[in-house]
Amino acid sequence: MRFNILIGGRAGQGINELANILSRVFGKAGFYVFNYRDYESLVTGGHNFNILCISDKKVGSFDYKYDVVLALNKETLEIHRQNFHKNTLFIVNFSEGKDNFIFLNANKDKTENMAFATALCKILGIEKNFLLDEVKKRFAGKSMLEKDIEVIEHFYSKDFEKEIKVSHEKTIKIVLNGAEGVSKGAVLSGIDIYFAYPMTPATTLLNFLAKEQDKIFFAYTPEDEISVANAGVGASFAGAKAMVGTSGGGFDLMTETMSFQGMTELPLVVYLAQRPGPSTGVPTHTGQQDLLVACFGGHGEFSRVVVAPGNSKECIEKTNEAFYLAEKFGVLSIVLTDKHLVESDFSFNEFRIKEIKIPERKIKLGMPGILFRRSSYEHDANWNNSEQISDIVESFEKRLEKHKMLEKEVKKLEMYKIYGKGKDLVIGWGSTKGAMLDALDSLDARFLQIIYMSPFPKEISGFIKNARNVFVVENNATGQLSKLIAQNTGFIVEDKNKILKFDGRPFTPQDIIDELKKRGVK
Amino acid sequence: MKKTKTTKKEMKKAEKACEISKALLDTKIKNTWCPGCPNFLILDAFKRAVCELVASGQKKKEELVVVTDIGCNAKIYDYVGLSGINGLHGRILPLAFGIKSGNPNLKPICFGGDGGTYNEGLSHFLNACRYNMDMTLIVHNNQVFSLTAGQASAVTEQGFVEKTHPFGIKEKPFNPVVLALESGASFVARVSALDIIEMKRVMEQAISHKGFSFVEILQPCIVFHNNSDFLRTSTYKINEMDFENALREARKWNYSQEGKVGVGIFFRKQERTFEQKNFEWKLRKKL
Repeated sequence: MRFNILIGGRAGQGINELANILSRVFGKAGFYVFNYRDYESLVTGGHNFNILCISDKKVGSFDYKYDVVLALNKETLEIHRQNFHKNTLFIVNFSEGKDNFIFLNANKDKTENMAFATALCKILGIEKNFLLDEVKKRFAGKSMLEKDIEVIEHFYSKDFEKEIKVSHEKTIKIVLNGAEGVSKGAVLSGIDIYFAYPMTPATTLLNFLAKEQDKIFFAYTPEDEISVANAGVGASFAGAKAMVGTSGGGFDLMTETMSFQGMTELPLVVYLAQRPGPSTGVPTHTGQQDLLVACFGGHGEFSRVVVAPGNSKECIEKTNEAFYLAEKFGVLSIVLTDKHLVESDFSFNEFRIKEIKIPERKIKLGMPGILFRRSSYEHDANWNNSEQISDIVESFEKRLEKHKMLEKEVKKLEMYKIYGKGKDLVIGWGSTKGAMLDALDSLDARFLQIIYMSPFPKEISGFIKNARNVFVVENNATGQLSKLIAQNTGFIVEDKNKILKFDGRPFTPQDIIDELKKRGVK
Repeated sequence: MKKTKTTKKEMKKAEKACEISKALLDTKIKNTWCPGCPNFLILDAFKRAVCELVASGQKKKEELVVVTDIGCNAKIYDYVGLSGINGLHGRILPLAFGIKSGNPNLKPICFGGDGGTYNEGLSHFLNACRYNMDMTLIVHNNQVFSLTAGQASAVTEQGFVEKTHPFGIKEKPFNPVVLALESGASFVARVSALDIIEMKRVMEQAISHKGFSFVEILQPCIVFHNNSDFLRTSTYKINEMDFENALREARKWNYSQEGKVGVGIFFRKQERTFEQKNFEWKLRKKL
């Protein structure tokens, strides 16, 4: 049973943090939880909201039908009115006098949000200690902690005359944010350097990594994206494991450097967090519109890895794999994510991570007695610049051979995942996985999640051949994955079978179910 | 002049320096600079400076990393036997920033032209002066894009005629020495390519300096911008001075082909480097 909670208010009211705290508390209490964050391109004011979907079953999405609303301002009630139902419960801190409204009458200070959190937990029957523990851990040493604890104790002792039972498991669920997953994957892989230029929605990763820093690696924001990318290559040249991060527009600026990487074959991991484009687009919303530029951006011909995780646990594993492949083959590894993936929190029952040990470099710049050289020019086997036919051909053949070895190696990793049963096949990638899996319970179909985009798992032809109908679900307008499928398997997805959403918002399971049923899927 | 007898110690030192020169720095790569190009003088001065630094124990060969741009100057990557990377046009400074961040025990020596440094890479130039990482930038300033056949750069004199500006370029040039000083560079020098001894001296000082050192070398391009006569007759030696005087001195010449050009080390200061401020722990760790 899915239960949706809306938390809404102005930017600056601490909505995201409140949702963050609650999602961890729900996880501790045994709920599966999915936390969706929605915010505008401004600093204070406007309207921000989070939707928490909790359940006793795995949940990777939310629904636009709210069972409880925490309205931190009146505007929230106006903006979301279409999504309330007759039993929606409202928790507010202004007197409304209506049925289904709980007026907190809390102090309008920095502890206000804690009153909201407590009331919600009390009404849902969640043990006080779960909330206290989370708050104590999060705000340890902070001056507000005592006041927050007071507020929690006070509001737990109140009787709200409302009790909602939402079934849940007993075992703790691990709650993990998407960007946090990438951060853990990078640290796990022994990252030495992270460079990025501020750009939504990639910046959250920088914040997570900055917390993990502690004299293990160095993170910095150089003057522009071109610096970021070149500094990444430079750090790699000096023997460091380097990652750079950006969104679509910044990646465009880096493409010359991607080509530089292709020629110099210095390992480099790129974190690309997509948002809707083209151009400045819609900075704080989500899209899957940069798949092709991730796979092909950068002039000339050179090998690369593009991997698209679908939830925060996959973010850890695929980032680790990206570092592994970059180091092993001197290849560019792009971890392709989007706002919905990196800003959302996912929950997991079990958390065993398949870790791959990163190979150490045997020869490094600075070792006495060796000349360590790289060039952006075409070159001979000793990295002397060259225009000779034999050198050019030999160089190219080496790089083509390397790509073949990369293709072989990637086959050992999970390049795709297949779920469900049924004659129809639905193909998707990245952050649509959550809604897709949640929808699958109501569908007689299989879901094929493509994880590796480059090299591409050509063997999916098998699934396509055996399917009655093939659908592709994507957050873009031109069906970019369909194009990759056509290129790699020869199969053309019919236009009417492309389910495309490009309004900057993620799919809900209902969206997918409606669209598929319209097209004859049972 | 009284001639002093060379001591055995000095002889041995000189021999060692020569040995290092031969072993270290010669490469078998065919040189493609125009015969008579002052780049040969710059290469020679650089090799001498490196030999002296290594022979005297100030620097180890494996610490030095040559980082080159694109253009005639950058071919030095193939002509000097040191580890190095031939980077993208205008992007050698962020590349060096990365190298230093990756392993701060390395000393990047960047070679760029005026096109790469003051056109394509101007933002990086100003920021590199600001960051003060321990590295050296040597700019081959011939006031023109040579390898692409003679276009005006951001530091070409007003009125210069070339194919893309057949009626003469209308814009005035930047003054790189002023820009470097104003951006906080901790070592700023300008020399003429026609003076090998001075080039070697300044390069040595620049590479030994702990912080960002900027050496601008004014050179004629014998094909596209041959101001040999001007450079030969118009330079005068300056001595190191404080910041305000250095700025005043730097403003005296406006990069036209007229007037007098001050050459030497303008300004030097000791300041905590970027590495010391941002990742001191890496400096203590053996990489």
